[in-house]
Amino acid sequence: MSDFNRETVSTLARLCRLDLSEEEERLCFDEMTRVVDYVHLLDEVDVSDISPYSHFIEQSIDSLREDEIKETLTREEFLANAPDVVGGMIRVPSVMKQEN
Amino acid sequence: MYQLRAVDLHKKFLSGELSAVEITSYFLKRIDTFDPQVGSFLEVFHEKALARAKQLDEKKARGEKLGRLAGVPVGIKDNIHVKGELTTCASKFLTNYKAPFDATVTKLIEKEDGIVLGKLNMDEFAMGSSTENSALKKTRNPWNLECVPGGSSGGSTAAVAARLCPLSLGTDTGGSVRQPASFCGVVGFKPTYGRVSRFGLVAFGSSLDQIGPIATCSEDIGMIMEVLGAHDRHDATSLPDAAQDYHFDPSHSLEGKKLGVPYKFLEGLNPEAEKCYKDSLKVMQDLGCELVDIDLSILKYAISTYYILATAEASTNLARFDGIRYGVRAEGDSLEEIYTHSRTQGFGHEVKMRILLGTYVLSSSTQDAFYKKAMKVRAKIIEQFDHVFQSCDLIATPVSPIACFPAGAIQDPLEMYLQDIYTIGVNLAKLPAISSPSGFNDDGKPYGFQIIGPRRTDVQVCQAAFAHERMTPFAKKIPPQFDKEAV
Repeated sequence: MSDFNRETVSTLARLCRLDLSEEEERLCFDEMTRVVDYVHLLDEVDVSDISPYSHFIEQSIDSLREDEIKETLTREEFLANAPDVVGGMIRVPSVMKQEN
Repeated sequence: MYQLRAVDLHKKFLSGELSAVEITSYFLKRIDTFDPQVGSFLEVFHEKALARAKQLDEKKARGEKLGRLAGVPVGIKDNIHVKGELTTCASKFLTNYKAPFDATVTKLIEKEDGIVLGKLNMDEFAMGSSTENSALKKTRNPWNLECVPGGSSGGSTAAVAARLCPLSLGTDTGGSVRQPASFCGVVGFKPTYGRVSRFGLVAFGSSLDQIGPIATCSEDIGMIMEVLGAHDRHDATSLPDAAQDYHFDPSHSLEGKKLGVPYKFLEGLNPEAEKCYKDSLKVMQDLGCELVDIDLSILKYAISTYYILATAEASTNLARFDGIRYGVRAEGDSLEEIYTHSRTQGFGHEVKMRILLGTYVLSSSTQDAFYKKAMKVRAKIIEQFDHVFQSCDLIATPVSPIACFPAGAIQDPLEMYLQDIYTIGVNLAKLPAISSPSGFNDDGKPYGFQIIGPRRTDVQVCQAAFAHERMTPFAKKIPPQFDKEAV
């Protein structure tokens, strides 16, 4: 019933930065197809009278704090978890490529 | 000592009958002896816990004021930060990630002199209902080691069931505290959304996630909720309320309380689940509750709504795992390759599938049909609960339509999702709900009875469970294999 197909899964995988093997892609497609078909159950619910954000009513503006400077993690504490650090910064592969 | 509840341990510590070091070393020994069979802990803080216990004994000797959890050992699910310790979320992606700060709940437990024993296993990023999605460890059900403990907080409930710690913390996004509590025959509480701070919890579905305690009785749940259930300015969704008092009066009556029963919604329940449920309803009637037939037919759509919203939120929350700033970075010659390789190698299958699904329901071509629609159906679900609570004080349902099942028995994700039918609506509507032990089937597998209340009635929900427990023998039962001293 939906236009959900193998191509959709490989496009999604690319967008999500996931490299799926042929086998994994097939498995994801099979499992996702069943879930997608199942959630189409919502098609039968009439929601014409509902605002999509109505469940946020409990949220009050009081929960927002003043915009004041607070101590957060130090650079050292943050970098302690970084996979590759050089000179107090996170190292990544070069982004700018040399043009020939 | 393992039969003692957290409230008893606390009392005995205060009276001087037991020292914190005695209590802590006793439970550490139980973990060392029994956890190889259960597999509930991912990490045990032997030295740190004993050092804290020693400090606590010294504090007591000095005559200083002691906290409300003084002497009580607590286990913490591995998606909640304990500063300086690993927070793996049971994922290969985070096997090297050390929490740079304490979660608010951790801070509160330590401030009140509770002793954190270690970190507990879970489904990877809390996605699952059996703890089989953990990339790091298999956890078994203490009632039947062939079976799963439920999930995603399976480590937290198995540890309490085997009496490896009297109290633990889990997290509940769609039933992840209540369902494993039901599978393991213990008490699991999911507070009102916003009651317990989520600061320092690794996010899965932010509008649904809630930290909740697991124990062997409601009094222990109340004891820790008095500590955890307070406003926290670090969590923008934290309720503005001060912590509540969970006084449990044995003479507290449920006389005249109206208990909503969604009879229609319960059709097709298997006979043994139905028997346990009806027995518990009878107990509630004996306690003075009047049963009222309620209409929760909207919950037919709860699973669809949930799996759209939860995966959408998860795909967004998990976008931050790129291998650049933290976590395990895979090899790659470009940023793009690092992102892709790290995510591909770091995430397990279920997590990948949910990221794909979440991205799908949020994509521009499907957003109206799925995500926005689900948001509206969620609003309708909330409306129907609000409406139902005009005619009853509390609602009773089973926790799960089935008892714990053998490892590997449910392979299909959709079949696994469908088991969440009774728990998921509670998260969508942000309600408090508790799983209270309600009997065993012929194979000795436990069932749970769920009591649900309107938002902010956390105390009343726990008090009703307390009354239910006092009239039934099930919460006191201990899995036979672990009903003995560690030697």
